[in-house]
Amino acid sequence: MNDISTPTPDAFGMEPDDLDGYTIEQLSDYLDSGRTPVNPEIESSPGCRIALDALWRLRQLSPELLAADTRAEPEADESWVQSILSGITLDARAGRRIPIPSPEVGADLGITEGAVRGMVRAAESDVAGVLIGRVRIDGDPTEPGQPATVCAEVSVAHGREIPSAVDHLRAAIASRLADHALLNLSGIDIVVHDLHGVPSSLGGRRGDGIGTESEEH
Amino acid sequence: MSSEDRASGVEAADDRIVAGRAADGDAAAFAVLVRRYTPMMRAYARRLLNGTADVDDVVQEAFVTAWEQLPALEDPGKVKSWLMRITSRKAIDRARAARPYSALDAVELPAAERSAPPRQAEARAGIAALHAALQELPRSQRECWVMREIGGSSYDEIAEELQIPRSTVRGLLARARKDIIVRMEQWR
Repeated sequence: MNDISTPTPDAFGMEPDDLDGYTIEQLSDYLDSGRTPVNPEIESSPGCRIALDALWRLRQLSPELLAADTRAEPEADESWVQSILSGITLDARAGRRIPIPSPEVGADLGITEGAVRGMVRAAESDVAGVLIGRVRIDGDPTEPGQPATVCAEVSVAHGREIPSAVDHLRAAIASRLADHALLNLSGIDIVVHDLHGVPSSLGGRRGDGIGTESEEH
Repeated sequence: MSSEDRASGVEAADDRIVAGRAADGDAAAFAVLVRRYTPMMRAYARRLLNGTADVDDVVQEAFVTAWEQLPALEDPGKVKSWLMRITSRKAIDRARAARPYSALDAVELPAAERSAPPRQAEARAGIAALHAALQELPRSQRECWVMREIGGSSYDEIAEELQIPRSTVRGLLARARKDIIVRMEQWR
């Protein structure tokens, strides 16, 4: 089934007879293993080596095919982006309910965890050259007065001094949360995961996640 | 700061930052992912569906699912391969719904309406030959090969998606590789 139609005598040999008894499946596995440990039987078989070379060339070509296909597709235009956004549920990320302290007896005020994360993200606008990624609230923020830690992943602009950016951001987050008397903060962890705006001459990228550096503070 | 302003900044950040924000509910960051990966996901869906017209629907469905499941993505830095995985699920589901296998190994007739080789200007002989060889492959072989080599799926993931044993995936992949190589050699 699926045999290659009428192979000519000089056709490319990919059958076990041409491969000293090995199959393409076995040779693919051998290639997957990085050709280690070395199999002398395969390596000394001209038929196997020809097939291995062909498999290797095909493998090199696959990412190029995806790259060429991707370049051939149109960029996402704004109407496409909007049609996707209109199809998603925006309030899906509410998370836990975090109480807001109130001087009035019996008042029961609260805010969603999602809104608190949004408030933490907004602190990036107070500090030049900082972008906030994922924000986590550790501890039990649903219980009034319980200590909670905010952990934020950030990307810092190339050329910005990282320790000072981190200090400023930590202060900005603390101040925004304090304005609303939210959370009994026991700490703010900021993890620098990325530098953005690195010139391509220095190995920068176009926002595709290559060249990420991690630095913890 | 408006969401548009923020999005233009987030555009510069890497996947981990952008996907992390989107997981936290930032729709502007999600829009950045949509802009960043729509062409790649369309290209992948087009290969899996071999040039049918459903590519837009598949990618749209994939993004809706991605938004819903992003909070569960353990490493937001891996959002690219994760989006590819969702795209292949949606594409395979659609292919199944439209035309279930009558037999796993049924050889397809060449598609009446082939997608034009998109890389005429590319003029890379190897890519053009691979494109031609892929179009001739039986559907099950093509799906396995494209999911493995273009989508980066593991054998187990392919087996699960196509609902066939892992050993069958291995066999189909080997045959696909063999067929592609032989066809490409003949083409030269």
